[in-house]
Amino acid sequence: MSSIVRARGLTKRYPGVTALDGVDLDLPAGRVGLVGANGAGKTTLFRLLLGLTRPDEGAVEVCGSSVADDPIGVRSQIGYMPEHDCLPLDQTAADVVATFGELGGLPVRVARQRASEVLDLVGLDEARFRPVGGFSTGMRQRAKLAQALVADPRLVLLDEPTAGLDPSGREEMLALVDRLGSFGIAVVLATHLLDDVARVCDHVVMLDAGRLVTDAPTTSLLHQTGTVTVDVGPGGAEALVGRLAARGLAVALDERAMAEVTVAGDADLDAIRDAVAELGLPLHRLTNRLTSLDEAFVHRADQA
Amino acid sequence: MTAPAPTAGAVYDRGYRPYEGPRGGRRAATAALFRTSLRRAIGLRRPWRQKVAPAVLLAIAAVPAVVNVGIGYLTRDSPAEGFSFFSYREYLGVSSALLLFVALVAPDIVCPDRRQRVLPLIFARPLTGADYALAKIGTIFTCVFAFAFLPQVVLYVGQMLVSDGALDYFTDNTDVLVKVPVAAAVLALFYAALGVAVASLTTRRIVAGASILGITLVSSTVSAILLGARRGQGPGDGDLAALVNLLALPLRVRDLIFLGRLHEESPLSGVAGGGALAIACYVAVVALCIGVVLARYRSVET
Repeated sequence: MSSIVRARGLTKRYPGVTALDGVDLDLPAGRVGLVGANGAGKTTLFRLLLGLTRPDEGAVEVCGSSVADDPIGVRSQIGYMPEHDCLPLDQTAADVVATFGELGGLPVRVARQRASEVLDLVGLDEARFRPVGGFSTGMRQRAKLAQALVADPRLVLLDEPTAGLDPSGREEMLALVDRLGSFGIAVVLATHLLDDVARVCDHVVMLDAGRLVTDAPTTSLLHQTGTVTVDVGPGGAEALVGRLAARGLAVALDERAMAEVTVAGDADLDAIRDAVAELGLPLHRLTNRLTSLDEAFVHRADQA
Repeated sequence: MTAPAPTAGAVYDRGYRPYEGPRGGRRAATAALFRTSLRRAIGLRRPWRQKVAPAVLLAIAAVPAVVNVGIGYLTRDSPAEGFSFFSYREYLGVSSALLLFVALVAPDIVCPDRRQRVLPLIFARPLTGADYALAKIGTIFTCVFAFAFLPQVVLYVGQMLVSDGALDYFTDNTDVLVKVPVAAAVLALFYAALGVAVASLTTRRIVAGASILGITLVSSTVSAILLGARRGQGPGDGDLAALVNLLALPLRVRDLIFLGRLHEESPLSGVAGGGALAIACYVAVVALCIGVVLARYRSVET
């Protein structure tokens, strides 16, 4: 897979702090998660990719073009969704998105047509003629995503797209991000929510205090742990835990009130099946538990 | 007979269509920002309340010309005693509606971009700080030029109609066809640069508007006080205080365009090289204002 972003020795210093410290990156043209705590350097990296600030050392290429040599050309291929509120509040969503389409180089008529299509895509088709100032947080996030997509970028930079969203809004936003890959648009998703990255990203870049911790496919970071998670719906997990413990299995309730069982082989899996059947519980799901990205992040950060 | 198949509703996911047509660069983005700002300035695609101010101010700027021409037309056969058409020079730029318009609109097209943190989004598009400055100054320039120029067209066409021969009036006044747009452009550039520069320094529209009015009116008052202190002393270098008057500075250049010299009532008319000084001050103020705007948008913080 070709690199959509390539950085070598990327360093950016601000007075009193080094935001990025000699970062080398090769991001594939898929869905890439950029994870790190607040202040890790995610937003600084985005600003460098957009050519809004210059690196103190190193160089970066986006879509095959040097950001230092051709920042305008690079920006014409990028859609950007900042973390903070950034839309004109007294304009309708249709006007805002169409304007950013025109600013991205689309002809006027095309920009309005694509604004309509993209607002439809993000689920704002019926709200397109309402002022953005009257939108909920979830609608504003969708409108921000729409303006990032309207000019048909090759790469979109999403800075904390699920910030401030309720669980259902978060699910919908992640589903939208997930779909972008199928449209042929490369995505870099900056977040401190590792679950979001595990859900939708094929590749993970971890930053910690400006240093690169990991740049690897998501699957390479998630290992099987020898435990399975058993989902028997609400109310049945505690009884199942008691039954499995009585059979001598190591079992506990996880934070989602699901039974987490250590299994040594097929016999233990048979025991789980039998216990569920004896209790008359519905078996919604039985999955191998993987290491979480949180665990991978902490482990790799410690190593670094 | 077979029953017709029931018509079932269907939801179509239109998905995403890539765009493969022509795509503009910096120039197109700058033009787009200009169009958006111009629409905003004159209230297009905005609530009716936002349309009132530009319409009223245009009316204030244009109505005297319309009335003047109307009286001239109605009394063309028996001219009223003491009536005369406004001169192009006198009418251009004397209306305070232009200044009010700039104080109202320049902050409205500049301050919200910073206050609502739209700038990072704008500068993530293919344009630079200089392009942004050009689009914003160009917007105010266009509006002020139109507001200053349209009444002049009314005056010109009206006088042409009232005159004994329209063609003769045209041939006798060809110089006006150059002087009026050039003087209107001089006026518009001054107001646009000043208005956008002041508005770029704050995120609050009310502060920006008050500052634009305050700077021009205070400079005018200071100039008047300094000139008043010299009253009766005859022409001299002390009259250079007239250059401090930002309200009158573009009008001095206007006089140079129309008359080829400063007007005799101008305090600068008694100063050696007064005209050149007026032009130098005009250029310096415009350059300073454009420099401020460029500096404000050279680096944009998210």
